[in-house]
Amino acid sequence: MTGLDAILHGGLQGYLLVALLLFAIGLATVLLRRTLLLQFMGVELMLNAVNVTLLAFGRYRGGDAEAMVFYLFVIAVAACEAAIGLALVISLYRHRDTTDSDQAATLKQ
Amino acid sequence: MFILFALITLVAALGMLLQKNVIVAGLCMVASFFGVAGLFVLLANPVAAALQIIVYSGAIMVLVLFVIMMLNSHEEEAAQSSRPVQRWLSLGLVLLFALGSLRLALGSAGLQALASKGGAAPAAMSLQAVGDALFSGHLLGFEVAGLMLLAAMVGAVALTKRNL
Repeated sequence: MTGLDAILHGGLQGYLLVALLLFAIGLATVLLRRTLLLQFMGVELMLNAVNVTLLAFGRYRGGDAEAMVFYLFVIAVAACEAAIGLALVISLYRHRDTTDSDQAATLKQ
Repeated sequence: MFILFALITLVAALGMLLQKNVIVAGLCMVASFFGVAGLFVLLANPVAAALQIIVYSGAIMVLVLFVIMMLNSHEEEAAQSSRPVQRWLSLGLVLLFALGSLRLALGSAGLQALASKGGAAPAAMSLQAVGDALFSGHLLGFEVAGLMLLAAMVGAVALTKRNL
């Protein structure tokens, strides 16, 4: 399965391509948007792109269970990141009344 | 089927990038997560698909939507200073990254070999195989992940509580 066929019907390269585009969109969200919540969602998208790559390689190595183990660890890290990140957004909103990352450029008010 | 789920994932992600309203962007993110879960099913991995829906489309999504409703600022604020240089620079960086890794992914002979070698569909991933691998080879990592989740929980409470 090569080239266009891999992109249309799956195949390792097709999954890698989707993961790559997903990662690029997530990165663009983090870099271009200024709302902290949206930047946070971009980080989640990037973690998901990594998961797609991991499981695609796991499947093409004959259903390797190690890929699932690392997928579980990535999920655990993503859950921690969600809890801490959103708590930070809330405490920033309390102190400065904004969720714009450009307005939080200084450490002290 | 693959192209369908891939398009759901990517179009929803693009919607999240371009959307002005934060709530709509959050819902686009859920759609994208569902698309990724569909891709996991196609990868003969129903366990990962179920986990994806429970953890991402369930738990993390509820958390994000709660915070969006709490904050009460649904539109992106106007930029204080327009910095087009930074925007173009980051856009160029993203495009450069995407093109470079595209060339790597599609032109690699090793990937080609792996794709043709593992072409036959394996049996669907079973929960038992995952449990065996997790608890025989990665027990320490599992315990550390549990500790990390506890620390994150305590940290989140400490950060958001006004006076402990």
